[in-house]
Amino acid sequence: MRERSGTPNLHELDAGHFLHTGSQAPQNLAAHLDNQVPVESPRAVSRTSESDPAKHGEQHEGQHYNIPLQDLKAVFPHGLPPRFVMQVKTFNEACLMVRKPALELLHYLKNTNFAHPAVRYVLYGEKGTGKTLSLCHIIHFCAKQDWLILHIPDAHLWVKNCRNLLQSTYNKQRLDQPLEASIWLKNFKTANERFLSQIKVQEKYVWNKRESTEKGSPLGEVVEQGITRVRNATDAVGIVLKELKRQSSSGIFHLLVAVDGVNALWGRTTLKREDKSPIAPEELALIYNLRKMVKNDWHGGAIVLTLSQTGSVFKPRKAFLPQELLGKEGFDTLDPFIPILVSNYNPKEFESCIQYYLENNWLQHEKAHTEDGKKELLFLSNTNPGQLERLCAYL
Amino acid sequence: MAAAVFPAWLALQPGARTLRAFSTAVSPATRAPTPSPRTTERTSKYERPLRRKALPPRTEKMAVDQDWPSVYPVAAPFKPSVVPLPVRMGYPVKSGVPMAKEGNLELLKIPNFLHLTPVAIKKHCEALKEFCTEWPAALDNDEKCEKHFPVEIETADYVSAGPSVRNPKARVVTLRVKLSSLNLDDHAKKKLIKLVGERYCKTTDVLTIRTDRCPLKRQNYDYAVYLLTVLYHESWKTEEWEKNKTEADMEEYVWENSSSEKNILETLLQIKAAEKNLEVNKEELLGTKEVEDYRKSVVSLKNEGDNESTLSQYKESVKRLLNLT
Repeated sequence: MRERSGTPNLHELDAGHFLHTGSQAPQNLAAHLDNQVPVESPRAVSRTSESDPAKHGEQHEGQHYNIPLQDLKAVFPHGLPPRFVMQVKTFNEACLMVRKPALELLHYLKNTNFAHPAVRYVLYGEKGTGKTLSLCHIIHFCAKQDWLILHIPDAHLWVKNCRNLLQSTYNKQRLDQPLEASIWLKNFKTANERFLSQIKVQEKYVWNKRESTEKGSPLGEVVEQGITRVRNATDAVGIVLKELKRQSSSGIFHLLVAVDGVNALWGRTTLKREDKSPIAPEELALIYNLRKMVKNDWHGGAIVLTLSQTGSVFKPRKAFLPQELLGKEGFDTLDPFIPILVSNYNPKEFESCIQYYLENNWLQHEKAHTEDGKKELLFLSNTNPGQLERLCAYL
Repeated sequence: MAAAVFPAWLALQPGARTLRAFSTAVSPATRAPTPSPRTTERTSKYERPLRRKALPPRTEKMAVDQDWPSVYPVAAPFKPSVVPLPVRMGYPVKSGVPMAKEGNLELLKIPNFLHLTPVAIKKHCEALKEFCTEWPAALDNDEKCEKHFPVEIETADYVSAGPSVRNPKARVVTLRVKLSSLNLDDHAKKKLIKLVGERYCKTTDVLTIRTDRCPLKRQNYDYAVYLLTVLYHESWKTEEWEKNKTEADMEEYVWENSSSEKNILETLLQIKAAEKNLEVNKEELLGTKEVEDYRKSVVSLKNEGDNESTLSQYKESVKRLLNLT
């Protein structure tokens, strides 16, 4: 088990580390696990001890904060990007960088007026700039503030490569996606356990001749029904969304709707019926219900959305601007919204990221900590966070 | 065969040679390269007429201030020995350079304008001047030409030496006119642009009509003028079916009666309802300054597309509208 402290282990005495912790060399030899070692400057740059997102401010910009691992499982059963999950597993810790777009959004969210209709915030930016991780930062904040999180990790997964489409039992025109719906319900349950018993449904729902959910029973029952009876999973999702929307105005809970890749809702799908005719997104029950969710005709929460070209279908690779990805229909539905640009690293953030990798002994190349090495990495990655992460994986 | 010919050739030489047959047996050898008659080579090199060495190319004898139009008076293919420029053309091999001009097919394939240098063109103009009339002194800049002669007609005449003077390419007539010089109102201009389609250029505001469907130039000119007249009159008329113009047909974004207007109205009404402020009506809501800013930002976003300035303008206007800090 590797230590998390900035001082290197006695077992790993490679010269590179002595060079960059040069001033602390005599103390390293007496290697104690006492973490009150005076914070050396690289550590102050790259990390902060403030792990509550509510207290993050401009002074923390560029620094990584730690999310405890058990929180991670509870809050993000399905939300993190796959490369980040691998990084968490490797480093055995989850650290997110505090960046300006997330800070801006946090500021808006802290000042939300829950009586007004839900405001929509759209994070957009080029590929690999950190939109999904900013969304995760916001979700962590809302989870800490005890909001109900409705997180769809990637809406693109619902419009492509879906098997077993069934005709919807609720509405003959639409199609069900049992697999995707049941996976999402399972994750939703993990993330929001405590709310499922508190919220009561306000109508009676009849599933089939033998099963029905009475009025006033907790929402958890609907979710269970969806998980156990996969055929009704899509309808269960629809009911959950409808109930949450209706009841968020009552004030028992605050609702955060977080959708990653929201441009999937208004584009094209790659799915076809048996007679090879293409399916439009609104003919899928999941997409239809989700569209209703991102409209601003309810209050008591906020809607944070991300546009994503990665994983989108029929969109050019360089597209990242809102109108390009949303199309006319999407823009008209989401209007008015607050667009927030997520851009590449600025020099301070870049330095902080490199320091973080160096501290975790991720960069093994002997030139990685030199000024020249850093300049080379800056040039090769063009300060793009995703690209930098991929480059450093080889070093 | 060679053995039989060899002494016969020697015998053809004047008698003085034969005396020195042995000593000068070397000389034919020096003249022709390696005369050792190998058994595979049966054709004698001595049968072929002797070739002159290649002369140096003409480029080496050219003066810097020579009269170039006389080197290339007409359109001619590229002659590497005549063009004194060290031109290279072709795709280079690895760690190599493009091929030189000698024997370069690429330079032969492309059209060259070596016969049309500025000096040559000046000479052509001088020669043509005696057939031209004076340019009117009053038209000394482009704006005046535009103002008095908004319609430009372009025709081409072709001269060639051949059995017939007629050239079918000569019947093409191009008519160019700027729409700003025509008397069109908003609806007429949009209708005309829709009618002509590809023939209108947005950046220069020029309508170009190119006709070649009639056999004679005069007929094509009449047809082009007729087209312009018809377009002008038709665009002023409004047909009944034009009332069915949908949003998809619009050339630019119009905010009134759009979904954006509806959305913002609903949002504002809900905000007011939340604040228990029920005595507002639509016109008042839409007339406020924030909504005006929002309208402008949405129109610019839709018409100009996404860029930093339009997006930040939109963001600011939405923030102000929804009272976010």
